[in-house]
Amino acid sequence: MRLALAWSSLFRHPVRTALAVLGVAVSAAMLLDMVMLASGMQVSFRALLMRQGFEIRLTPKGTLPFDTEARIARAASAESSLRAMPGVREISPVLGTTLHVVRGEASEACFALGIRPAVQGDYELEQGRDAEGDDQLVANTTFLARTGAVVGDTLELAAGYDAQLRTWTARRRVIVAGRGRFLYLAADQAAVALPLGALQAMLAPGGVDEVSLFMVKTVPGRDVEGLRAGIERVLPRVTAIATADAVRSVEERLSYFRQLAFILGTVSLIVGFLLVSTLVTVSVQERVGEMAVMRALGISRPHIAQQVMLEGLAISVVGAVLGLALGLLTAEYLNGILRTFPGLPAAIDFFVFEPRAAWQSFGLLIVTAVLAGAFPAWRAASLPIATTLRTEAVS
Amino acid sequence: MRGTPRAQRPFTTTAMHVPPRLRTTRRTLGPTPRSLAFALPLALALSLALLPRTGHAQTSRADESQRTAPTPDRRSPRALRTIAIDERLVRDKGLALGDTLEVAATPGGAGERVLVGAIVRRAADPSEVARAEYRVRLHLDQLQALTGSGDKVDRFAVAVTPGATDAAVAAINARSFGFRAHPSRAVAAETSRTFAVVSRFNRAIGVITIVASAIFLLCIMLLKVEERRRDVAALRLLGISRRTVTGAVVLQASCIAVLGSAAGVAFGYVCSAIINWYYRGVYRTPLAFSLVTPGTVAFSVALSLVLGIGAGLLAARRLTGVPPLSLFGR
Repeated sequence: MRLALAWSSLFRHPVRTALAVLGVAVSAAMLLDMVMLASGMQVSFRALLMRQGFEIRLTPKGTLPFDTEARIARAASAESSLRAMPGVREISPVLGTTLHVVRGEASEACFALGIRPAVQGDYELEQGRDAEGDDQLVANTTFLARTGAVVGDTLELAAGYDAQLRTWTARRRVIVAGRGRFLYLAADQAAVALPLGALQAMLAPGGVDEVSLFMVKTVPGRDVEGLRAGIERVLPRVTAIATADAVRSVEERLSYFRQLAFILGTVSLIVGFLLVSTLVTVSVQERVGEMAVMRALGISRPHIAQQVMLEGLAISVVGAVLGLALGLLTAEYLNGILRTFPGLPAAIDFFVFEPRAAWQSFGLLIVTAVLAGAFPAWRAASLPIATTLRTEAVS
Repeated sequence: MRGTPRAQRPFTTTAMHVPPRLRTTRRTLGPTPRSLAFALPLALALSLALLPRTGHAQTSRADESQRTAPTPDRRSPRALRTIAIDERLVRDKGLALGDTLEVAATPGGAGERVLVGAIVRRAADPSEVARAEYRVRLHLDQLQALTGSGDKVDRFAVAVTPGATDAAVAAINARSFGFRAHPSRAVAAETSRTFAVVSRFNRAIGVITIVASAIFLLCIMLLKVEERRRDVAALRLLGISRRTVTGAVVLQASCIAVLGSAAGVAFGYVCSAIINWYYRGVYRTPLAFSLVTPGTVAFSVALSLVLGIGAGLLAARRLTGVPPLSLFGR
């Protein structure tokens, strides 16, 4: 009965109701997008970091992985110390540098990672074999596209350029053993992975005993934070970063988007609230006579209040359902824009749909609708019957 | 114009550390323990535009302000050399001009005692907004000695005569000294790609917001005009023409739109001031995060006027198209 009355009341002014529903839908879409944005980066980045199961990353003191060119010196000694620590299950050392593919007079620069293929967590092999030998590498699609190489080709790499002799230094011929997808690099970044020893040998005669970072897997059930603190005690020259810390660091750097999400989400709710409350208030204002008659016929105050609130709720529910679909479309579009950030790992998404986000948005809208309908409902329920009827009759 | 090692980007950084055991001394006040200031080794990303070979610490950017302290004579074997440090480092670690620090390339590694000779404020550079690390500026030879990098630099900044940039870039690249020269505008374009993405994102969000606002405005205007159906009916019964009634309704709608726009502009200015105050504090930068430009104001006001007048016209036509007695509900 109440629902039917509310429904017919809304249909009395279809244009007005349609506009209100549309307005709520856009607000709901914006709200959903902002809720997705607020949690999306965190979810996506955490998933990326945990993809290969490394819970702790060790970098030169005070830096983030590959944030600077600083490296961890005496890497072999540091690795031995790590292996001796209880709770450490697996260690993957990584060295990052720039190499050049030399082709006659031309050259192509690329980012090179020195890894141990058996324990590496930087790429997933898509084609061919891993870089098992010192004369083998795994390249990504961008690298292969830029150099025109395919799996099985032989390339000449160089680590530097001697300006006086005008020659490339530390040359090495390598075979493209496989094609891989590098998880932490941007899609447009040409990259290769070589065995750690081979890359260290290219950087200096006799090799350098340095790495850019260590990635550490812990024994299941081990207190990660405790182990992280223990590592920093044993190796004071490194910063040990647990996944949670890394996520926090990235969030701090990208806090702009979280705050923007909060502000725009709040604005969306306010717009939705104003829209519903205005519409329902005007609707009540137009029907004070009708409501006074209903009260005079014996309809209770709660009945009147519920009917008015149902009008607001109906607008919000229909708008929210439309908004959900609209929000997913706009989120896809906005995510496409943000994914073009230079240097952003291809696997990172800013907008990640989670059912929790959808329910959260829906819940917030329903609460807003209830609040928006509360005041006009109270006004409608507390109308003085005789006075209202007389005023309506006179006017 | 910038010259960088072949096939590398012009901007790279090096981390440096202040040993944890270090105590600072303030030259003017004598030795002062500041163990707290160095309880944690600091990651100091160094500017690549290093100091000129003079006794004074200077910054490479004209727009960065600095305070300098008297610098000791470099020729004296016991005198300390000066460095310039970041204002953030000063604020966070309680340093001051004249303090003595020890800087090292690696944590716990051999370092060099230096004197804080200048405090540098970061320029309003968007590319540095999200970077939280501290920065120090050293003399070129000082940094080369500390890092063991020998006679190497990361880049050269070259001033050329006006209009000769492209020719100079081509000439340098043709000689192939192992350098790659980039015009400053190309470097600027590369480093501003991030902000181009943010700008596109903000524009997209802006469009969605405008759509939501437009619907909201239309709805409100429609309601406001419909509220006046009895007034319109009375005017029509008195013999006022449809055109006059429509004109009056549109005029009222315009007034509401103008007043709303004025309130919106004022609200926008206040919000912009709050946003700038907040983010300048968060990122510790003089950068303006929100700008209310005359263009933005003109666009917003024009949009609300168009929407307001459009909604008023729509509602007025609906009302004047109905017989007056029907508007009275009879």
